[in-house]
Formats: sequence, structure tokens, C-alpha cells
Amino acid sequence: MSSQVNGYEGCRVVDMRSDTFTLPSQGMKEAMMAAPLGDDVFQEDPTVIELQNKMATLLEKEAALFVPTGTMGNLICVLNHCRSRGSEVILGNLSHVHIYEQGGISQLGGVHPRTLQNLPDGTFSLEELRKAVRKDDVHMPITELVCIENTHNVAGGRVLPLEWLDQLGSTCRELGLPLHMDGARLMNAAAAMQVPPARIVRDCASVSVCLSKGLGAPVGSVIVGSQEFITKARRLRKVLGGGMRQAGIIAAAGIYALDHVAPTLQRDHAHIKAIAQAVSDLGSKAIFVNLEGVHTNILMLECDLNVLSPTQLCERMGQITDEETERHR
Amino acid sequence: MLLLWRTTSHRLNLFVFHFEIICLNKGKLNHRTMSRGVCISRTLRSWNCTMGYFGAHHYKWYHPPPPLQVGHKGLTVDLRSDTITKPTEGMKKAMMEALLGDDVYREDPTVTELERRMSELAGKEAALFVPSGTMGNLVSVLGHCEQRGSEALLGDQAHIFLYEQAGMAQLGGVQPHIIPTRADGTFDSQEIYDRMRDEDVHCPRSALVCIENTHNVCGGKVLPCHWIDEVGSVAHSLGLPLHMDGARLLNAVIASGISADRILQACDSASVCFSKGLGTPVGSVIVGTEEFIQKALRLRKVLGGGMRQAGMLAAAAIYSLDNMVNRLADDHRNAFVLAQAICDTESTNVTCVPEDVHTNIVIVNLRSGSISPEEFCARLALVSEEEAKTLGEEIVIKILPWTATSVRFVTHHDVLCDGIQATVAKLKYVIKEIDSQRK
Repeated sequence: MSSQVNGYEGCRVVDMRSDTFTLPSQGMKEAMMAAPLGDDVFQEDPTVIELQNKMATLLEKEAALFVPTGTMGNLICVLNHCRSRGSEVILGNLSHVHIYEQGGISQLGGVHPRTLQNLPDGTFSLEELRKAVRKDDVHMPITELVCIENTHNVAGGRVLPLEWLDQLGSTCRELGLPLHMDGARLMNAAAAMQVPPARIVRDCASVSVCLSKGLGAPVGSVIVGSQEFITKARRLRKVLGGGMRQAGIIAAAGIYALDHVAPTLQRDHAHIKAIAQAVSDLGSKAIFVNLEGVHTNILMLECDLNVLSPTQLCERMGQITDEETERHR
Repeated sequence: MLLLWRTTSHRLNLFVFHFEIICLNKGKLNHRTMSRGVCISRTLRSWNCTMGYFGAHHYKWYHPPPPLQVGHKGLTVDLRSDTITKPTEGMKKAMMEALLGDDVYREDPTVTELERRMSELAGKEAALFVPSGTMGNLVSVLGHCEQRGSEALLGDQAHIFLYEQAGMAQLGGVQPHIIPTRADGTFDSQEIYDRMRDEDVHCPRSALVCIENTHNVCGGKVLPCHWIDEVGSVAHSLGLPLHMDGARLLNAVIASGISADRILQACDSASVCFSKGLGTPVGSVIVGTEEFIQKALRLRKVLGGGMRQAGMLAAAAIYSLDNMVNRLADDHRNAFVLAQAICDTESTNVTCVPEDVHTNIVIVNLRSGSISPEEFCARLALVSEEEAKTLGEEIVIKILPWTATSVRFVTHHDVLCDGIQATVAKLKYVIKEIDSQRK
């Protein structure tokens, strides 16, 4: 991408703000245009049905539902699990659901969040989890759900360890609580771990997976769960305003993404690792990287605030100086 | 396959089970089960059982003919709704070529262009693209009703009240307060004064008035412009904003010849659908002031409507504004043709008032005690041998039951001219069949 930046013509712009900026490829667009369509509110769109079946099969769950965004996917799942008045969900304090979804679960659903301290690797203490579960007491809300996020965005795109997932799964089973995974970047986790995504979500009652991030579809996410869960989820999707009509035209992009883009995610991881390595090799005293924490397609650089702030670093990266261009020649 | 089982209880303490099996399988009826159902009904009748009270949906006077297995040459005319419209080739091309960006960051140029076009068309400051009309209305209601304990005034036949799963209450804590709707889709504006709440600790706070144009349940009626102005004036005099559910606003524009911005003059916000008669696959746009749309942006996000490269969908909407608006007149004409054809049969069992057809929706009334809406819909969806011979083709018509005594037809661009002719032919045949059974 070439454009004019602070006076320099023909610049190359590399947009790494997010993987949500991905544009559909020509092949993806062709698949979209060729897709057979119907009215998905009547459940008559064959392409939406195909995507849902594909996702359910991939994650080894009974059913799936196409939704316009990951935010709606998570919201539907939380509201679907937390049905009692006065319910509570246990989740990490740095989870996307808690920080970046506008408090939707509370704002719209009356669900109370009970946060646990997220550890740097995106997990939390299972002991803390046990302590956080509410007793049957008139003072207390009712714990109805545990939520996790994989890969963990704020933790730097980290993949949750399988052993921890398995332990968490058995703890939740013991406590009689369902487990929901915000799997916005689940496919990145699967690619990084070289493990089938179904294995990662084995103990999850529901999962929300984004198609519009690294997978490159223009719009959409899919939630998976039991047949009963998805049937109820459809109602929630409708009331929230997610009942789209010929949604197959965007679901087709999702199908293409699963077939053609998912297998290439490791390339994104390799790119990020190359950048991380390069920064690390500089041995800078102002900008730091934790190489161990770079698992997938997200890189966090820490700034020494005595030298510069993150905002300043972003601004500088977005500019071009004479000296810089001199060096390049 | 959809199976409907009904029971009626016998007046004379004889418990008579009357099974009527209606199987709908993509417009094709299963011959075996249908004829079994008919046999059972006839058998029960031959026992001379006195039928006592019947549920609202089953009269049993009408006996459908045995169905034919419809071949692939059969013509299916789907008049259930204009939401089933598919994107045209030209529309798809526009979608493919659209410039895209991340709309959550407000960087999708095609979405921005659509919003600019719509705000201009509607004569409002700003606009916002949303995935559905339901979200458009919900965002608007929640945007206007910000305080805890708010109340919204709206017609008792409004789509927002009947068919949006009580979203304003369920998600937003807003109480709806209904006003009786008149047959033309309006309500008495005096009722707004009567229902306006006092500032009183017992009362919720009136925060909004909503209207719907065209009015769906009332049969696609176009609201009179002067009435909209009147409601706006009353609402504003009470300090209340006015929101229009304009899902089919462009139908109102074409039918009335009045521009969208004139129609919306008194409205503070409106939600307009593109996925209905305008034929796009997905989406609606809401319009309002800059300040309102900024609030709407936040509401859209929390509801989960913040899509990414939504420009692909917005491109379809822009295409429809340029190519699909004027042709709505064809849909209106087709609806009128259907209504007139029904009226021309002079049936007393199946009736329609062509003058009541303003746009692309036709409500057909069924005489109470003759045939139920479900039976009528089922009959139109099946083809009998005699019918196929008489009409010279196998025609399947899909419509929706509407009220306890009516059905709804909706015309749209996926129904071609021959589809309307076929529908007329079949309607005449079926109505004649009903009339011959039930004089």
C-alpha cells in the first residue's frame, strides 16, 4: 500500500494495528459471489447452513450459529448460559469480554462479572476460581459460567496451555459450571500448537470463533455448542439484531477462509517472530520484547516510559524522516 | 417436514380426536401422509360426530384435494416476504468491486459513502449502517430512551412491539406503552397527550414516540404525510422525539410520490431496511442527528453490530439506491393485480379490498368458518392433479398466515411477471374450489 505520509510520496504503509483489517482475497470474493443464498431468518440459506455444519464438525460440537461479530458471539453465549436473574460469570480481569465489549453482559443482560487476576500467560489460578464460586446465599449472585480466552489478546496473543485447559475443564465439571471460550483467534492457537482445534475446545460447552480476523473474511463469527444451546442462541441473536437475511454471501467467505486461509496462519506467526527477534537483537534499553511470550500473530513491545511512551512510539512509526530515508538509500 | 396436530373436543362428552396432518416439505407435499390425513378426517365425519368448539385455526369444512408430487418443472412463487430477495448480478459486481476498510475504526469508505448518501436522502445530519432492521430500531429506541425507567409510546400493531422479541424491554429496560392502531396504520395523536406521563415517582418517564411506515401488519399502508407531521408536532410539544420504523420507507416514497426527506421531516430518527424490497442481502441504515448517531455507534457496538469490512454489504445498498428504488412501483402494481384478481372472483370466502393495497403487501381475508389461514396457505403450496391439468402447469405459491382470519402476500423483485400471472391463475382456481365446497 503506497501513499503520501508527511510529505513523502509513494510510501509503503504496513498496517499492523490489527488482523481485523484483513481484506478478502479475489478467490474469497469469487466464492462469495457464487454462493447459493436464502433467507437465514427462515433458516433457508444453504451457505450459512454449510458454514455452521463445517464449524460444528471442526470443533466436534453438535451445532453452530453464524453471527455478525465476535462481540455478539460472546454476548449470546454469556446470556445463553447465564439465564437466572442475578447470575454471575467468572472470567479473567484482562479478558476481551470484560475490557472491550462495553460491559455488554451487564449493560444488556444483567449479568455480573466476577474477575480473577489473569496471569501473564493468559490463564488464572484454579484455586482462585474455586474460591470465587458463589455459595447458595441470599446475599450472593449465582455463578453460572466460567469464561476463558484463547489466544489471549491482552497477554500478547498467547496460547493457553493444554494442560491448564484440561485441568480447568475437569474443575468446571466438578463445580457443575459450563465453560465458554472466547476463541476469537482459536485457529491461531491451533496452528501454533499444531493441535486440532477440537482438542483445544474439548471441555468447552460453547466457543465463539472469529472469521474476520486472521482468517480474513470481511464479516462474521461463529458460535458452537450443543443443539439445545444453539437453538436458544438463535433467539438471542434475533433480539440483538443479528438475524441477517442472505447472510450466505458472507458465510461463503468464512467457508473459504477455513479451507484456504486457516492453513496459512503459521506464516503470520513466523512474520511476528521475525520482527520480535529483530527487536530483541537490537538490545535496546528503551524498547523491550519478551520472546517467550510471542506465540502467535501478536507482538507486545514494552516501552521505558523515561525514554518514550507507547503513543510516541506509534506516532514515530507512522512518520518518515529525512535521515531515515537517507539511510535506506 | 412440519406436522400440525390439532384436537377438538366433542360437545356431547364424546372425546373426538380429529387429526389433521399438514406436511410441508419445501412446497412439495407427501402424497401418502396427506391422503392419510384426509382419509382420517373423512372417516371421523362419517361417524356423524358432532363437532363442538373448534380452535381458531381449524374449521374442517374445507377438504383439500390429494396432492401431486410436484416435478422439477413446477413453478414456485415465493410471496412470503420481500426479505427473501436475492442480490442481482449487477449488485454482486458492485459488492466485489467495493473499496473496503475496517468499519469499527470507521475506515470503510463504502460504508461511509452509503451513510452519506442516506443522510442526504433522508435530510438528516448523519447515518449508521447496521446488520438488520431489528438492530436499527433497537439502537434507535435505546439511543432515545437513555434514562432508567423510560417509556416508549408506539402502536399496538407495530413491528417493534410485536416482532422484535420485546428487545427494548428485554435488553434495554425500556417499557413500551401501546396505542390502539387504526386500520390505516395511524393512531389518534390525542392518545399521545393522554399517555404522556407526569413527573411522578410512580411513573416511568415518557421518552419517545414511534411510528411505522409503511405499516406492515396493517397491510403495507403508507402513513399520510400530514399525520406524520401532526404526530411529530404533538411529540415535540411534549419534549418527546419521534422515531420512524421505516423498514419499507422507500415503498412509501414510491407509492406516495413524496420524497424521503419530506416524509421524515418531523422525525428525529428513522431505520430503513435495504434487505427487503430493495433486494440487498443484509443490512439497514439508521438516520438522525450527529449526536444521536454517535450514541448509536456505541449501542451498535455493544449489541454486536460492529462489523469489519462491511463495505461489501454497503456496496449492495448503494447499488440498490441507484437501481432498485424506482422498480418498487412494479411490486406495488403486482400486488394490486393480485388483489384485483381475488376481488374479481366475487368469492364470499376469500376476500380482498384492492383500494387497501398501497404498496407491495396484500392482506387477504378468509371468512370465519370457511377455511383457516393455515389451510389456505397449505392449499396454495400443494398442486392437485386436476389443477395441474386445468392450469397446464404445476404452480406452488408460498405465503404466510397472518391473523386468525387472514393471510399475507408480499410482492418483490424475485417474482417475475409470469410468477404473478401464475399466482393469479392458481388463486382463481383455488378460490373456485373453496367456493364450490363451501357455499
